[in-house]
Amino acid sequence: MTVAEVLEEIERDLPFYEQSGGGVTFSGGEPLFQPTFLAALLQACRSQGIHTALDTCGYASWETLNRLRQDVDLYLYDLKLIDEERHRQFTGVSNQLILENLRRLSASGHSILVRFPVIPYINDDEINLRQMVEFLSSLPQKTPVDLLPYHASALHKYHGLGVAYRLRETPAPDQERLKDIKSFFENYGFNVRIGG
Amino acid sequence: MTMTDRVARLRQQSLEAVPTFSTERAELITEFYAQNHGLISEPVRRALAFQYLLEHKSIYIGEGELIVGEKGPAPKAVPTYPELCCHSLEDLDILDSREKIPYKVSPQARKVYEERILPFWKGKSMRDVLFREMTPEWKAAYEAGIFTEFMEQRAPGHTVLDDKIYHKGMLDFIEELHRSLAGLDFYNDPQAYDKQEELRAMEIVARALIRFAERHAEKARQLATQTDDPQRKAELEQIAEICSWVPAHAPRNFWEALQYYWFVHLGVTIELNTWDSFCPGKLDHHLLPFYEKGLADGSLTRAKAEELLQCFWIKFNNQPAPPKVGVTAAESGTYTDFAQINLGGVKPDGSDGVNEVTYLLLDVIEEMRLLQPSSSIQVSKKNPDAFIQRAGRIIRTGFGQPSVFNSDLIVQELVRQGKSVSDARCGGSSGCVEVGAFGKENYNLTGYFNLPKILELTLNNGVDPRSGKQIGIQSGDPTQFKTFEELFDAFRRQMNHFIDIKVRGNQVVERLYANYMPAPFLSLLIDDCILHGKDYHNGGARYNTTYIMGVGLGTITDSLSAIKYHVFDQQNLSMRELLQLLETNFQGNERKRLMLVNRTPRYGNDDDYADSLMRMVFEAYYQAIEGRKNTKGGEYHINLLPTTVHVYFGSVTGATPDGRKAGMPLSEGISPVQGADRRGPTAVVKSAAKMYHARTGGTLLNQKFTPQLLQDEEGLTRLTHLIRTYFKLDGHHIQFNVVDAATLRAAQANPEQYRDLIVRVAGYSDYFCDLSKTLQDEIIARTEHTSF
Repeated sequence: MTVAEVLEEIERDLPFYEQSGGGVTFSGGEPLFQPTFLAALLQACRSQGIHTALDTCGYASWETLNRLRQDVDLYLYDLKLIDEERHRQFTGVSNQLILENLRRLSASGHSILVRFPVIPYINDDEINLRQMVEFLSSLPQKTPVDLLPYHASALHKYHGLGVAYRLRETPAPDQERLKDIKSFFENYGFNVRIGG
Repeated sequence: MTMTDRVARLRQQSLEAVPTFSTERAELITEFYAQNHGLISEPVRRALAFQYLLEHKSIYIGEGELIVGEKGPAPKAVPTYPELCCHSLEDLDILDSREKIPYKVSPQARKVYEERILPFWKGKSMRDVLFREMTPEWKAAYEAGIFTEFMEQRAPGHTVLDDKIYHKGMLDFIEELHRSLAGLDFYNDPQAYDKQEELRAMEIVARALIRFAERHAEKARQLATQTDDPQRKAELEQIAEICSWVPAHAPRNFWEALQYYWFVHLGVTIELNTWDSFCPGKLDHHLLPFYEKGLADGSLTRAKAEELLQCFWIKFNNQPAPPKVGVTAAESGTYTDFAQINLGGVKPDGSDGVNEVTYLLLDVIEEMRLLQPSSSIQVSKKNPDAFIQRAGRIIRTGFGQPSVFNSDLIVQELVRQGKSVSDARCGGSSGCVEVGAFGKENYNLTGYFNLPKILELTLNNGVDPRSGKQIGIQSGDPTQFKTFEELFDAFRRQMNHFIDIKVRGNQVVERLYANYMPAPFLSLLIDDCILHGKDYHNGGARYNTTYIMGVGLGTITDSLSAIKYHVFDQQNLSMRELLQLLETNFQGNERKRLMLVNRTPRYGNDDDYADSLMRMVFEAYYQAIEGRKNTKGGEYHINLLPTTVHVYFGSVTGATPDGRKAGMPLSEGISPVQGADRRGPTAVVKSAAKMYHARTGGTLLNQKFTPQLLQDEEGLTRLTHLIRTYFKLDGHHIQFNVVDAATLRAAQANPEQYRDLIVRVAGYSDYFCDLSKTLQDEIIARTEHTSF
């Protein structure tokens, strides 16, 4: 597929963007894994006046981000764990790059919405929550936070692909717990939504 | 839920009442016609018949009722119209025993029909005359299921009232027609005498309605003397006073306004069995002055207004559509009689028409949750989003009401047809989705037209494969067509041929009604019948429109797309192979069928390949019909809606090139084929908007959402955006079923547990359990959107 083809697809929904004030969201997988194509598309959208959002885990070199960041109107930035070791344990990589990129984007004045996937027993503990708040409070701008309750909809996809699904035993977080986490963030002055 | 005990009780009675076949009207009209009136004009005969009916029909005032009057002797006791359609004993047995939409026929009623009604009317009703007058070509096409005929059992009506009764009593109407009478010019106007007769007839019916109301006043007074309950006694005395005042005089307050409309409604629907019964139209606009005045002088509260409106709603629900049989029952299989209350829109000066009463009525609709009356919101760009969202909160409860119309486009449509801007702004939608200049237009829907069947005939060189008869023209051997354009040209010629036949029939039917079934009471209400001294059926209305409704747009588009794509462009199949697949109903060729289903560009996905074919079909259909002259000084226009006919038309249409098997339902309205739209509601809306809606008098788009999608405020906001965008793209109408397929399947399996499940069918809602199995399956098969 070419940039022009994707753009044509995007433009079909222009009347809806204009009505709702919405636009196009690039998500994945991880869109930053295809930085050249993404940069070209973002630029094409910018030239058409289409609002763009980038749904990313932030794991990319700053050079990559820097190349396209001016054409992104809103970052949907995943933040899972602050502790580097635990991050490595669950994702296989360090989070230093992720945190650093977020800090730099924040410092450059970009619109950011932090998205926190709440996964019971993995990142919903007091320690991680406190570290999240500390880190987010240390950023140059205050960002709103969406709590995304974990769900198992990917189970079938994993199964279909023959990949082991290792969170089989993990339940969805209960509503009470989510509300507690929401108020926890709110107590530190964050705007929080459940879902989003 | 705010419902007084009274309303709760009346509502429950209305829900529980069983539709019964009442012979009261049939007996009275037969008595009347049996009398020798000597030589009198037809308008006067019909006026005297009307007077006779209203003078002798039984008067019903139910316990606790605030709005009074029934079309039959009691709620849901449904009158018949043997002068239009005289049911046979076999019809009566079918009505009594059929599984869906039955009407209880008592042995006594059967006896009355056998001994008095049938001997008098058999072979002599309008239905008999109408079929006798049709040509063999017409009959062959009708029997093949190429088109239907609306007027074979019911009279033209399809109209809606404006605001005139809220400032004019029947006595004022009489004064007006006296002025018309005085102005007749017998020296220079050769029609002066005919006009005099029509105006005389109108005076008779106006006085008959006053007398009818007075009979209710007498009954109320009599009941007041019999009750021990002082509160009810006071109410009955007030009802008596109201019925003595309206309809003779203009209403003075909210209650009188509603009661007046109700008498008018009864008058129109007793005079003849008019399609779509009758409707007050923009009720929020009409009632606002009475509401404001009542609140200001302390004579009304919001709660009292609400209770009166609820009682008014129940009155509509008490009137199931008169019993239909044959093709009419198949094309319109429902108890609903299509009164559609309009809300919002714009005022005559073009400003925002949403007011306090709009919201009050939305509350009533939500609380009553009744099949009748139907309701719609008329959305103008000038209306606030809050209005749509309030309606959205009702839509998401899943009973299909209110439907949603593009008020600004309706004005465009009406103006394009030649109405003045202010008459257009006073118009709106009625029935399912059709538009009209309320109070000023006779707009008749005359029959559905089966577009996929035309393709079937084209692919068989004019022969109907079901009967083996050559009923169409020889449009060419399809295996010899070199290009898609040749095929489409043959399709166009075949279509024009049948439109000619349909129009020829219509011209006759219109004159039959003009000559034998004048409607002086309806004429009294619709401008400019009094001014012209002409009947509603005879061109008396200011505007006169005849519609033929195209059906199966999704199926025909996808079928043409399959032929163009697989036979001509990709050459995956030869025409001969395709014809063989259709002839054998894909027997033993499921792979080929699935290729046609899954590998064809299909309408509803914002795909120009398919959508441009939809536009070609639309244009050809429009050209075939638009602008032809009817007999009333008006013109033909098109609209696209199905009621339940897509099931009947499907049952007479063989396998189609889009992979649809023989006998299965066609697509409904302008919606995509069930399950063919795979790219979400925004793509559906984009595809549908490529049609030139402003050139129609109504199109119908159905969407099905899961309840989860609309459960929160964000869902409602998105729904609002979807509606606004469709309307910005000049879409006419959209309506929503908010129910998941699992619920519908459960209801199919255990109907007794889902008796109250209401779904959107076409331009109306119905109890799911009252629908035929095929229609239930068709609704389940509609694409269910789980995200925007």
